[in-house]
Amino acid sequence: MDLSSLPLSRSGPTARWNSIKLALRQGTLVPLLASAIAGAAIISPVLVVLWRSFTTGRLGFTVGLNLTNYLRVFGDRDILPMLGNSIFYAAGAAALGTGLGAMLAWIVARTNTPGKALVELMPLYPILMPPIMKNIAWILLLAPRSGILNGILQQFFGVETLVFNAFTMAGMIWVFGLACVPLGYLFLLPVFLSFDPSLEESAYIAGSKPVSTMLKITFPLAVPALLSAFVLNFLRGLRSFETPVLQGTPGNINVFVSRVYDSMALEFNTGLATAYSVVLVLLSVATLYFYVRATRFSERYATITGKGYRVKVIDIGPWKYLTFLAVFLYFLAGIVLPFVVLIVVSMIPYYDYETFMNFPANAVLNNYYTVMKHPSFVTGLYNSLVLSVTIALVTVLAGIVMAFTIYRTRSYGTKLFEFIGTLPLAFPPLVLSVGLVIIFIGTPIYNSLWALGLGLFVAYFPYAFRNASGSIVNIHKELDEAAWVHGARWRHVFFKITLPILKPSVGGALFYIFIEAIRNVDVAVLLTSPGMEYGPVTLFEYFRVGQWAEAAAGGVIYLIILIVAVSIAKFAFKMKFSL
Amino acid sequence: MQSNLTRVQVFALAGILVLGAGATAAEKAAVKEAVKEAAKAPKGDGKQVRKETGSAGATAAAAKAFAKVSAELYPKAKQEGNIILYSVWDVEHLKVITDAFMKRYPGIKAIYWQGRNPEIVTRALTEFQGGQASFDVVLSDNAPPVIRAAGAIMEYNTVQRDVLYLHDPGMATVSLQIQALAYNTKKLKPADLPKSWEDVINPKYKGIVALDDPMRSGPLSSMLSGLKTQWKDDARFNNFVRGLKALNVPVHKSTSAMFRLVISGEYSICMPALLHDVMEEMHKGTPVSYVKTVPPVVFPRQAAIYAKAPNPNAAKLFAEWLISDEGQKTIDSVGRETSRNDFKSKTSIESAYGKNMKPLPVTDQTFLEDPKKWLDTYVKPIWEG
Repeated sequence: MDLSSLPLSRSGPTARWNSIKLALRQGTLVPLLASAIAGAAIISPVLVVLWRSFTTGRLGFTVGLNLTNYLRVFGDRDILPMLGNSIFYAAGAAALGTGLGAMLAWIVARTNTPGKALVELMPLYPILMPPIMKNIAWILLLAPRSGILNGILQQFFGVETLVFNAFTMAGMIWVFGLACVPLGYLFLLPVFLSFDPSLEESAYIAGSKPVSTMLKITFPLAVPALLSAFVLNFLRGLRSFETPVLQGTPGNINVFVSRVYDSMALEFNTGLATAYSVVLVLLSVATLYFYVRATRFSERYATITGKGYRVKVIDIGPWKYLTFLAVFLYFLAGIVLPFVVLIVVSMIPYYDYETFMNFPANAVLNNYYTVMKHPSFVTGLYNSLVLSVTIALVTVLAGIVMAFTIYRTRSYGTKLFEFIGTLPLAFPPLVLSVGLVIIFIGTPIYNSLWALGLGLFVAYFPYAFRNASGSIVNIHKELDEAAWVHGARWRHVFFKITLPILKPSVGGALFYIFIEAIRNVDVAVLLTSPGMEYGPVTLFEYFRVGQWAEAAAGGVIYLIILIVAVSIAKFAFKMKFSL
Repeated sequence: MQSNLTRVQVFALAGILVLGAGATAAEKAAVKEAVKEAAKAPKGDGKQVRKETGSAGATAAAAKAFAKVSAELYPKAKQEGNIILYSVWDVEHLKVITDAFMKRYPGIKAIYWQGRNPEIVTRALTEFQGGQASFDVVLSDNAPPVIRAAGAIMEYNTVQRDVLYLHDPGMATVSLQIQALAYNTKKLKPADLPKSWEDVINPKYKGIVALDDPMRSGPLSSMLSGLKTQWKDDARFNNFVRGLKALNVPVHKSTSAMFRLVISGEYSICMPALLHDVMEEMHKGTPVSYVKTVPPVVFPRQAAIYAKAPNPNAAKLFAEWLISDEGQKTIDSVGRETSRNDFKSKTSIESAYGKNMKPLPVTDQTFLEDPKKWLDTYVKPIWEG
């Protein structure tokens, strides 16, 4: 019996009343309430900045309710080409990163590619490198006249043409696309790992080739997770700033988000910055609407059903060498190249092609010494480690509860959470943190660790939520319904069925949010109090002031610490990304 | 003989004492005058006063004035017990500076928050509008005039103003941002260097100039503002902006990234770079230098006191101490440019450019307080027209 479909198939007040009765019987008011609290925490700063976009001019000057900011935004004649650039860049990078991540997840989860045990964690390595460091590494690799790759082509192969150029749209998409791979991989891996293999087996028996099976059977079933990762990466791309500033501006490619930052940095007008952000919100809402429409028949994608199944790897025959080559190429281009550049740059006195190629004859370690004696290095790192672990745990749990509320309790109006839970992603971090400052100001929370914690929760909730909602639709409702029919309350369903099945994606989301939060600067900067030593804000000032060698050394130290932390999590706490 | 000598010594001593007393009285009077003037100084209209060279008398008077104001402020500041800074400066520098201040004035605890200029302005003005007595001093370059324009700065005229290269009657200039025309020494020979800022628009430099975005509040727009003030010639100014545009080179929004690309050899000329960055790299042996014949652009870095400062005496004391000999030595020790015209350091204009160099100060109030308005009026029509 499909309990949820009976009362909800009707409309009007009866449906609402039935929905409430069902919620009371199943105890689903608890997750509903928890989601409402999380939703309120997320929507509050957003509403605050939205309100101020109608009431604020330049900071420090009060103006009445007006539409000036919006009139300026919609009267801006440069807005359309900039939006075009933003959409092209974000969609290109999201497609590249999500596609590549999905392909790697498929190779690891579904095929007998040799050596894949070694590569399980590999697609995640790039997120250990701070985003701006990736940009710097790729600029040094791809810069037309001083770049390493063009230099090598010229020196060893006599190629005089400048083949690579970091300061192009393609360069931007490549660099940000690689940064999108880990999310694609993390979202898709659990789905592929929890696949009922009978569908693929049928295809193989019918004579289908691996690639054709992957494209016609496996990937279509993973559409919700694929779209979820794409939407997330797309929204990240729309508001990303480092790549457009460092690579786009020198190539005369201006993106929309630079208008938001100019409003803050040149005009000091948060109202105008928010009005510009509203365009991003509208784009995000349209994207989410598309996502919700595309996955509205969620039962179609349920691959984890009540039927007994066993995860089985498919023998793809000689194709396994091709998949191995694909993994190897990704490893080389996506990981080894930028990592080598980072390590070498951290150990040479300064970067130019000649000095780079002289390494290791000219190796020095003084950049490491400078970083280690940074006044906030140890305490700042400890504070951010503790806070990031806490934030990852709380955010991931809250994200799953909200996804559970939407897709499992079917309470009236819960689809609204789909938008609320993703909304913070539409706002550039500085705008979002202004909203948080305004909310906290004058309360005891302001200038405390709580404010920073809540800020990071709001900033990273969309990742936890999108990850959970993408995975939850892959679990067939019949598992829950069996429990509901037997009189289970929400906590039984949530803790005994949903959470254990979601374990792989929980691990991935925890890992991702921990790594992102530990190096967050954009949201944290306005929320740290004077005297608070917070690792990322202080350490990554090297990036900000342009001391690239010291920044690279700091990046390497962070990398080592994160690899140790992740290894401890993986082995000591048996954190897994697979079933 | 002994008694004669003693008598001579006594006379000499008496003479010294009389002269000394006279001098001390004169200096005391000067100091008194300075302090009095500081107290009754008109609330700053924000006009920068430029004084390029110092004098021994001014140095001594400043030292005395500082000693007096320090003695007056310290007990009150000690009672307040704290000072909170918002600054754009590197944490490593802030740590050295606050440690030195706390050592000099035990009993005052100095803490800081570091952010970029837009973040400082956003935080300070949001707190100001929220009625928060949350900090005491903004130690930065672009942020103080913007915050003052919103009425969130308590005007304070330093008693040591006579030794400042650039003086603002409402905010103490404690350091200078000096912008230089930098170049890659591997890429350009001295004979090929531009001879002036204007020379950079020579078509022969097309493709090798790294240009800061003139439409943002950054070093290039500061330079344009300085040049406009100095030239007082609109046609010349417009021609220069047009020339920059005609170079048709990429513009950069990150000064530091642009400077690194010049070091890497991607470009040969950096338009412009911060002198202390160039000096630091030259010291490390990086192939970069600056054109010593091109006047440096000078921008004030101020210690501005917040209008709702919870510790106003500590804030004033901190600002005065930063300008004092000890404070300037501390600023110099972290590689930042000092603000006094009588202080010798490796990044001072005199030692970097020689005695006869006439720098280019940025003093246009509209540019300092509302860069967007200034750029929209004078640069945008040419740059985007």
